[in-house]
Amino acid sequence: MESKTFWECNKAYILTALGLGVVGFVFVGYLMIMDWGYLIQFTLHALIGDTSGVLTVPSSELEQMINAAFGSAYNSVAPEIIRASNERQEYIWYVFFAEILIFVFLYIKNGRVTPTITRPNDTVQVLTSFQRAVIWLNIGMISVLVLTGFNITWGLRSEGGDLPRILREFHELTGLAWIAVWLVFTVIAAKDMKGWRKNSTFRHFLPGSFKPSKRVIWFFYAAMGAALCFSGAMIITLHPSSLTHADVIQFRRVLLYLHFGASVLIMFFILDFVYASAVSVKGYLKGLWSGSYPREYLEQVAPDVLDDLKKAGRQ
Amino acid sequence: MSRMKFYCDDYRCIDCNGCVVACKEAHEIPVGVNRRRVITINEGIEGKQKSLSVACMHCSDAPCQKVCPTDCFYIRTDGIVLHDKDKCIGCGYCLYACPFGAPQFGHEGIFGVKGVMDKCTFCAGGPDETLSESEFEHYGQNRIAEGKIPMCASMCSTKALIAGDASEVDKIYEYRMAKRGDTTSLKPYGWEAYNNGK
Repeated sequence: MESKTFWECNKAYILTALGLGVVGFVFVGYLMIMDWGYLIQFTLHALIGDTSGVLTVPSSELEQMINAAFGSAYNSVAPEIIRASNERQEYIWYVFFAEILIFVFLYIKNGRVTPTITRPNDTVQVLTSFQRAVIWLNIGMISVLVLTGFNITWGLRSEGGDLPRILREFHELTGLAWIAVWLVFTVIAAKDMKGWRKNSTFRHFLPGSFKPSKRVIWFFYAAMGAALCFSGAMIITLHPSSLTHADVIQFRRVLLYLHFGASVLIMFFILDFVYASAVSVKGYLKGLWSGSYPREYLEQVAPDVLDDLKKAGRQ
Repeated sequence: MSRMKFYCDDYRCIDCNGCVVACKEAHEIPVGVNRRRVITINEGIEGKQKSLSVACMHCSDAPCQKVCPTDCFYIRTDGIVLHDKDKCIGCGYCLYACPFGAPQFGHEGIFGVKGVMDKCTFCAGGPDETLSESEFEHYGQNRIAEGKIPMCASMCSTKALIAGDASEVDKIYEYRMAKRGDTTSLKPYGWEAYNNGK
């Protein structure tokens, strides 16, 4: 058996960590104006249920009044929200432009894998109807969330009005509905956890096994999806009244910031997935709809799926 | 150039909520939306209880205007910060950016999600035709156009809440401080909070 070096085994993890590390270093060190010390302490307080943001006992009546009326430590988080919001309006498309440039470079360097199919009628049932329903719901909802999300981010271009407002309302409602779909998809796509299948009746995992590059995508989908679902649901439901404003506003600011960051990262890795599944390798959209894939297609593009189906006795 | 400002004197405010009721009644503001609110600290502790009436402070360098993705805010020459409800998409970013919690959102969106933003207009209406039915429906009364001061300040029984040109308001504030013999007090709440970024 061919032995692989550490680099070959872990290239995807190392490159991802390196890329995010460099971008994170530049952002945290040179662009962001967040008070990180406060944010860490605030998060710890929030974990034990104190979302007011008041970390120390007020030293004066003025401070006490400000905390009660307006919420504490305005300058710790709010200016960063303003900066990040403006940054998203003006510069977020650079992220995706840079990513597409990377894809173009990879495409020119590696080309496209196009499987040869001589027996199109020799097919294998890969996806169950349940899996297909979840996948298509996921595709549909993510598309709606991306479009309606950019509708908010780029409101300056639409100049607001009724339609953008209705789209923003759809963003909130679709987001709430997506929580269930995100959870189910995250579980059925957890290919590393198939050990469960032998011991239980849970047979809905997607077939195949993860390569490191796809495992990274799954991880970010799961983690950033969790961040988006949590922050989005809390932002919608924890709406302050005029009298509860000071108690929750700092928490909501942090949640919005989490929502901003998670949305960019999940978009980045979803685009990565689209490139890896449909551009660098010729995709088979018909199979995603019918659940059946030509045996030759699987042999050339996804032998791990075929192996897995054989092991499961599904073909 | 004059700049219109509110000032609430916490020594005089008695938490009667007259300003809140006057504002809601004058502008026919729906339940759940309060353009003005009264906050009390040390409630029930004799000598230490203090109250403060809070609404939009009409900041000179308004953060809500900076953060709005649809650019629906505008600042009049007299410093009153207003917004265009026909442009607002109800994203709520202004609420995160505001140091005072002024932006308010009713639940009139689809399936009860939040609708467009509402806030104190300093009783100066909005971008619709002055004193029109549409202006009243969207923004409430335009008392400034009628030569009156905001309803909340005009109704304040103890004159804790005053409104008007900033230099005039500041003179009243200084006068009250001097009369009380209070030389240690800070500038009015809100003004100081925003300027110091507390």
